Amino acid sequence: MKQRIGVYICHCGGNISDYVDVEQLGKLMAKENGVLISKNVMFACSDSTQKEIEQDIEENKLDSIVVASCSPKLHTHTFRNVAIRAGLNPYNYTQVNIREQCSWAHSDKPMDATIKAYGLIRAGINRVSYSEVLESLEISAQKVVAIIGAGVAGMRAAVDLARMDNQVYLIEKGNTVGGHVAQAGRLFPTNENGKEVVDRLYQRIRQQSNITLFTNATLEKVSGSIGNFWIEVKLGSEELKLNVGSVLVTTGFDFYDPKEGEFGYRLSDRVITLPDFNKMVENSKGKLIHNGKSVKSVAYIYCVGNRQSKGENRYCSRQCCTAAIHSSLHVHEKFEDMTAYHLFRDIRTYGKQELLYQQSSKNGDIYIRFEEKEPPVVELKNGNPTIKVKDYLTTKRELTLDTDLVVLVTGMVPRTDSNSVSSKLKIPIGIDRFFNEIHPKLKPVETVIKGVYIGGACQGPKNINESVQSALSGAAKINATLKSGNINLEPIIARVNADSCLWCGKCAEVCEYDAISSIANGGKLIAEVNKATCKGCGICAPTCPSNAIELAQFTDNEIESMIDGLMSKAEISPRVESQQNNQKAGVQSLAGYPKIWRTIANALEGNTLTIPQIAEKIDQEASLVTWHLMTMNRYGFVESAGLNDNEDYFMYKLKK
Amino acid sequence: MSHINPNFAKELERYGAKDFNLCFNCGNCTAICSLSTKDNSFPREMIRFSALGLEDDIKSSLKPWMCYYCGECSTDCPRQAHPGELMMSLRRWLTAKYDWTGLSGLLYKHLSAYIIGFLLVIVGLIVFAAKLDWNQEKIMHFGHLFEMFAIAGVFAIILLPNIFRMWLYTIVRPKVKATVKVYYKAFSELLVHMFTQKRFLECEKLQETQIKWFEHFILVIGYLSLLFTTVFLDWFGSENMFIIALGYVESAIIFVVTFLFILKRAKKTEALHKFSQPSDWFFVIWLFLMGITAFLVRLFIDIGILQNNFWLYLVHISVLVQWAIIIVPFGKWTHFLYRSFAMCFARILELNDMKK
Ligand SMILES: Cc1cc2nc3c(=O)[nH]c(=O)nc-3n(C[C@H](O)[C@H](O)[C@H](O)COP(=O)(O)OP(=O)(O)OC[C@H]3O[C@@H](n4cnc5c(N)ncnc54)[C@H](O)[C@@H]3O)c2cc1C
Ligand code: SF4
Ligand code: SF4
Ligand code: SF4
Ligand code: SF4
Ligand code: SF4
Repeated sequence: MKQRIGVYICHCGGNISDYVDVEQLGKLMAKENGVLISKNVMFACSDSTQKEIEQDIEENKLDSIVVASCSPKLHTHTFRNVAIRAGLNPYNYTQVNIREQCSWAHSDKPMDATIKAYGLIRAGINRVSYSEVLESLEISAQKVVAIIGAGVAGMRAAVDLARMDNQVYLIEKGNTVGGHVAQAGRLFPTNENGKEVVDRLYQRIRQQSNITLFTNATLEKVSGSIGNFWIEVKLGSEELKLNVGSVLVTTGFDFYDPKEGEFGYRLSDRVITLPDFNKMVENSKGKLIHNGKSVKSVAYIYCVGNRQSKGENRYCSRQCCTAAIHSSLHVHEKFEDMTAYHLFRDIRTYGKQELLYQQSSKNGDIYIRFEEKEPPVVELKNGNPTIKVKDYLTTKRELTLDTDLVVLVTGMVPRTDSNSVSSKLKIPIGIDRFFNEIHPKLKPVETVIKGVYIGGACQGPKNINESVQSALSGAAKINATLKSGNINLEPIIARVNADSCLWCGKCAEVCEYDAISSIANGGKLIAEVNKATCKGCGICAPTCPSNAIELAQFTDNEIESMIDGLMSKAEISPRVESQQNNQKAGVQSLAGYPKIWRTIANALEGNTLTIPQIAEKIDQEASLVTWHLMTMNRYGFVESAGLNDNEDYFMYKLKK
Repeated sequence: MSHINPNFAKELERYGAKDFNLCFNCGNCTAICSLSTKDNSFPREMIRFSALGLEDDIKSSLKPWMCYYCGECSTDCPRQAHPGELMMSLRRWLTAKYDWTGLSGLLYKHLSAYIIGFLLVIVGLIVFAAKLDWNQEKIMHFGHLFEMFAIAGVFAIILLPNIFRMWLYTIVRPKVKATVKVYYKAFSELLVHMFTQKRFLECEKLQETQIKWFEHFILVIGYLSLLFTTVFLDWFGSENMFIIALGYVESAIIFVVTFLFILKRAKKTEALHKFSQPSDWFFVIWLFLMGITAFLVRLFIDIGILQNNFWLYLVHISVLVQWAIIIVPFGKWTHFLYRSFAMCFARILELNDMKK
């Protein structure tokens, strides 16, 4: 049991303290068993508070800490690092979430929120008093990578991984490489031919002796974990078992296949999809000919199978606007006197692709905007299409147009076999049915399975540039992980008590990750946890009839004591409105707040100043001053005094 | 239901429209235009009609005449679609549509038609002069007669029927039912517009516009009064000192102001001068030539050297004939007339709406 616990309860600049009586909790927690220090702090994650915690740990020889603030998703690593810097084992720290799970959720009932926070923090204190010193696990890793799918994304990543000295297995289910690009014809924005791009990549792959390409290969089974996956691949009648350190999934997308009758599709040969149209353009010379008839006008209908507010493909495919416009430019260049109608919902030619849109307008292409609720209607008279459309750019006027050909600008959909790939590799599928990364901004190519990365269009619609970028960042991540030959893993995994385990096998049965096997120990068989494979999910622990398996950081002691903490009755007195107090007491009451608040208040004494002026006066960064001044404003210590003479900054003064 | 006509854009290009298909319908132009109103908004709508080739909508619209080509919209268009120039081209196209002879369209689309027309006038004049045995007095007499009849004839045979057609397209066919009272009220405002073009002053760039408006105003007054002085007061034949001086002042105003116009057009500093069409050039140059030759003819008379330099009169009269039977009925001059009537018709629509 820990006896020198430090507790830090965060105001989160009002996010928490506006509802939870943080100050009272701070005083109450000081009385808890084993708590040596209990403080409430303005921003626990701020540099100054981090330093303060470090100092407390060092000076008071704290043996564990509890931070009650925001979600552990946000700041676990921040405070683990605080502990490490102060010489404390990072697992002797517990994060308690009193923001997302308390103040934000119960902003309507501040008193109850305070009572709930009291229970949560006590649970945290109880838990940390049972915390153990844990060391991260180090395992050795194969410098071998399996790439699933040899489209441009997979091929390009293979080249880089091989050049960084990794053995690469490139596994392609088709009999040729290149994916969709191999058949795409002329590509935006460079006007290269897809086949040439793929050929060039293929040559580079052949030059790398450490890339092994398997075509007509299907993924059968995956086991193991980061550093040591086992991938079983079927090559015709042959089966291969590959031992790899990491996996990059680049299985790409499928074209949306319009339903029969969708904009006249399959009812007439005059209605075709964009990929088919592109092939036709590629193969026609001199004149655009479709099934023996010459084509002089083309109507493109956008967003087919995408952006369905009610259907399952709600997303936008990002590249189809540009692809359609690019095709139209190509047609204009290749054949004379062509008319193009673009029936669009929005034009999403972002970035440099905007220039293509501009060029197409310049060529005289006609753009007509429709909305999903009133889509164009393709009517076929003797198979010849006439389109009726309400143009939202012409006061919703109903327009008709005759065209030789209707091209459905079809977007991307997930591969039909993505479910099976997902279940083999255990990578999650999002609501859009593409593979899911951990975090779209901060962990864009990582999956929840360590060592398995995703790249290219299997993750969601992307053009070639974006597909290759994401695959290459996956490759870079893989290389960084495998480079040293060792991998550090979280020690929060299951462990077996050799004395009480009877090897009934129940835990092995429920383990989704096949992390448990049997091993001989002192004359009997017991369960053994594969440290690299165990994900720490904890499902095994409650199934054990003899309570022989537990999860580090989630031991029975810890969980039970947390329940005790939550159940304990709180003696909370109603909050005296501190905000009003503050206002009445003025600057003097700033004693309990960050030092910089006092410095700012002194600078404002008898003055009205802008933020840059305050920053200069107290010799601090303007961004820091802004941050604190805004909170002071919120707490009613300062107020705005209107714009300055140049009307470029607000001025502030002390609130009387 | 309207049918899209993709070929209309090409047709419009022959009337000087340029790149208007670059428009991506942001509406900036309409927002910036100080003459566009909530109920009568332009130029974006006109660009849209043009891109889709909705000819009937354009033909029945008075909006192109509401635009005075200040050029603000073209300056601010983020796509350089030159909306102001499109409005100008639509005015040319409408002029051609109103003209029952079809000659306007021919002249706008083919520079060669203009040149042939001008040459024919010169040849005709020479033949005519030769027939009169180069008798100066007779020629000048016929010259004077021509001025009178040309004005009446052009107006009766060409302009009046064209205005009738304009009325047909914009009021009758769209089934606007207006009372005689409404017509009376609208027509009474017509004359004011015709001579002052005062709507121009509603444009936003006030100082610049005031100057421009003033130049136009002087030119119109100068032109009309010179017409009056030569035709009804017989400037070239007059002995009256006042009339002679008046003619000098009027013709001087015309050639000085048009000279300034020519310079501006050539420098292309303003948006509205970026894409001058031959018809624009002919208009200012011929006006300039008329002013200066008229001035010189009278000067030669006054210092007694016209007899020995009769070629000058011949030059003057050929410029005058070209102006009167080519530029006035079929060229840019008609814009002045149609614009005034468009104001009047728009007023009819407005009064009619108010009644409802
Ligand atoms: C009509 C259209 C036109 C386009 N034009 C352009 C353009 O001009 N320029 C541009 O930049 N982008 C364009 N794109 C986008 C471009 O096609 C994609 O960005 C690119 O194909 C994505 O590459 P990828 O490698 O991720 O996927 P893919 O090209 O789909 O390749 C995936 C590969 O993985 C293989 N595979 C799939 N599942 C498995 C499995 N289970 N096991 C083994 N292998 C598997 C497939 O056989 C395939 O070879 C266009 C897209 C469309 C729809
Ligand atoms: S990229 Fe364009 S065509 Fe494709 S789904 Fe998005 S908006 Fe529609
Ligand atoms: S369930 Fe318990 S007793 Fe059974 S094998 Fe697993 S750890 Fe051992
Ligand atoms: S904690 Fe989860 S992954 Fe680890 S052994 Fe237990 S059941 Fe398997
Ligand atoms: S400002 Fe230009 S792009 Fe925008 S609507 Fe007007 S003409 Fe079109
Ligand atoms: S040129 Fe001037 S008056 Fe004409 S549409 Fe543009 S902004 Fe309006």
